Amino acid sequence: MSLSSTYNIISSAFASTAAQTSVISNNIANANTPGYNRQVANVVTTSYGGSQVVSVTREANNALLDQVNASTSLAAAQQAVASGLTTLAATVDDSASSTSSASQNGNSPSATLSNLESALATYQSSPNSQAAGQAVVSAASELASSLNTGTSAVQQVREQADSGMAASVTTINSLLNQYAQADAAVVNGTASGANVSTAENTRDSLLTQLSQQIGVSTTNNPNGSVSIFTDSGVPLYQTGVVSQLSFTASPTLVAGTSGNPVTVNGVAITGPSAPMAIQSGALAGLSTLRDTVAPQYQSQLDQIANGVINAFAETDQTGGGNPAMPGLFTYPGATGVPSSTTATGLAGLIEVNPAVDPSQGGNVSLLQNGGINGANYVYNTTGVAGYTGRIQGMISSITATQAFDPSAGLGSSASLSSYASSSVGWVQGQNQQASNAVTYENSVVTQATAALNNATGVNLDTELTNMLTIENTYTTTAKLLTTVGAMFNALISATN
Amino acid sequence: MTTTNISSNYLTTAMLPSIAQTQATLAADGVELSTGQYANLGLQLGDQSGYELSLKNEYQQLQSLTTSNTVVTTDMTTAQDALNAILSDAQSAQSSLTTWTSNAATSSPTLETIGADGLQALTSMANTTSNGAYVFGGVNNGVAPMNDYFSTPASAASTAVSNAFTSALTAAGATPSTISASDMQTFLNGPFAALFTGSSWTSDWSNASSTNTTAEIAPGQTSVTSTNINQPGFQDITEGYTMLAAFGNAGLSPSAQQAVASTALSLISQGVTALTSQTANLGSSMAQVTNATNSMSSQMTILQTQIGNLDNVNSSAVATQLTQLSTQLETAYQLTSQITKLSLAQYLPVA
Repeated sequence: MSLSSTYNIISSAFASTAAQTSVISNNIANANTPGYNRQVANVVTTSYGGSQVVSVTREANNALLDQVNASTSLAAAQQAVASGLTTLAATVDDSASSTSSASQNGNSPSATLSNLESALATYQSSPNSQAAGQAVVSAASELASSLNTGTSAVQQVREQADSGMAASVTTINSLLNQYAQADAAVVNGTASGANVSTAENTRDSLLTQLSQQIGVSTTNNPNGSVSIFTDSGVPLYQTGVVSQLSFTASPTLVAGTSGNPVTVNGVAITGPSAPMAIQSGALAGLSTLRDTVAPQYQSQLDQIANGVINAFAETDQTGGGNPAMPGLFTYPGATGVPSSTTATGLAGLIEVNPAVDPSQGGNVSLLQNGGINGANYVYNTTGVAGYTGRIQGMISSITATQAFDPSAGLGSSASLSSYASSSVGWVQGQNQQASNAVTYENSVVTQATAALNNATGVNLDTELTNMLTIENTYTTTAKLLTTVGAMFNALISATN
Repeated sequence: MTTTNISSNYLTTAMLPSIAQTQATLAADGVELSTGQYANLGLQLGDQSGYELSLKNEYQQLQSLTTSNTVVTTDMTTAQDALNAILSDAQSAQSSLTTWTSNAATSSPTLETIGADGLQALTSMANTTSNGAYVFGGVNNGVAPMNDYFSTPASAASTAVSNAFTSALTAAGATPSTISASDMQTFLNGPFAALFTGSSWTSDWSNASSTNTTAEIAPGQTSVTSTNINQPGFQDITEGYTMLAAFGNAGLSPSAQQAVASTALSLISQGVTALTSQTANLGSSMAQVTNATNSMSSQMTILQTQIGNLDNVNSSAVATQLTQLSTQLETAYQLTSQITKLSLAQYLPVA
């Protein structure tokens, strides 16, 4: 080995320290960049004894990344359901009501029904009082408006979910296109042996953003490409080909109408009847809200509205067998009382019968005496002023057992007041479950992200220590260079 | 040597979720301490919200029945007071009559005055109202139950009385001054008495319904809450007063006058007995209402306790939690500050 070969070794050492310094600088610069994976310079000994940086590896942990993405998807789905339910729960929130006031200041159908029952109790003790009758009518319009408000809240939640789905689909399609580019960069870079760390970081961060919207699973291909499938197995990106999601938004979603499903290559991936329905991600959550949760609450409201109209309906008092007709409560175009199976959308239509509402030219005394639907329906046949039979009949019909459509999820038979409070319990229960699930999934995301961050992130102290080591190597190498130079000088002067 | 890598980014931000969560809990605790209830009741109770709401509804129904019971009680107390006034008037009429019987010629007040005063007081008491309703009207409480005997033009009752008397005189072939005591007695017990019962009573005297009003005084419990004047007590006293008012100054012979006075006395006594039992019936209805109100009041206490168990937070537990959270938050701040200082760069000599 000659003295001149040391020059080669020294120069390789300089090149290697420079390359390592560049990797360390890169790591330090990105220490606080979310989604940055730390890089490691792989140094080997060259054939002539020098050192060389042969490659730069990116610290990756696919298992942890998958876990972060999966829990992100679940959290996003629950979050979407929970925010819709919070809106619905706000319409039935009676928590501010205090037990010391006679009238609950809640606006839920249950609370307003209870207010109506109280107003009727007062009316039956003073049937001569016009004011007590008007109090019944105004309590009744509060109940009707509570059901109307509930319906428009459901409609609003469903429409927002629908437009949220449209936005989500746009985001997913855009992310998929970006992903295709990043994936192509990785494939090309891998083939040409270039450093693909940046492209891989981009790809991972796109995948995490995608998980926010839709639950995904991935498979690795030999050429470095990573294919994406929905969590139900529908391919979204495979061998460089993006399958776009398609969706037509519905601007208005009244009770009883269902929104369009999201499709991939003609296969529905959302909705109760989708063959391969996605399970997680904001898109799945919004779809659950739009197609399952909100419509179920709507049908409960419709059942309550149907129950209310039937409970206050007037029956034929002459024994002539005429059908029951809407009494205190009715709906536009009513030709008879509705039934529990034909109640769709009734909660949005229910109103106080104009015939008893003084503000619409009605007569309150029809409440006390009956006869809203004509002479055959008059209960107080003698016309006495102190008649309370009809009012007491209405009070007992609130607590009487009625038939309800079991598809609304609250059983098939209950009293009106207990059905209304069960419905409130159902909403609050769903809200509580969704909210607890969000808290749980978010903590899983936090834990998984922390684990991933620790596995792949940058520790400044480690980088700094490495930097010092490299600095020392550099100093020593420089010293070596001077020493070898001095030796050459000594040799040359000796030969002169 | 392998060591677990810790990301510097994670190290400095590790406390953030914990700090945010602690702050959110602190805010909720503040609300809970000031209101004594859970900060977000619906979220706290979940499925139990329905149960909680049904308890509140039940409480509200009991409360409104309690309120309507006060109205009912007021009506019944008014009726009770009016009945007592009628009874005391009747009793003073009895003593005036007794005085008159022993000294017919010079006694004051006269038979006619006793009858007319009594009848007027009775009519006014029978037409007592409470909350805009006539308390003695039964369910037909929108019209005054008792017609005024002394109205102008002559009331149906007054016409009927004079027609009956004229017929009786014609049948006996006598004039008022010559009708015998026994004929007078027969008239009073027969045709005259018939004017105060059955359809004559309901057409000439009374507009009341014989059906009394009922009200729900507790959930599922209704009670009769009024009375009406279509009762023997009212009829007897009215009959007694009317005969005094009509025949006290009709120019009857002293013996016929004595017959009128003694018949009136016995009718009024009979009426007093009947009305006393009516007062007792009303009293028992009032007791029923009071009992219902008392039992509802104890149910409401139980309901309030149950609602409180669901809604209310344990304020000492919340206060303790508040202190713990403050300590935790301070520790988190301290830790964040310390960790931020922990960097190798701080300890390297500046070149």
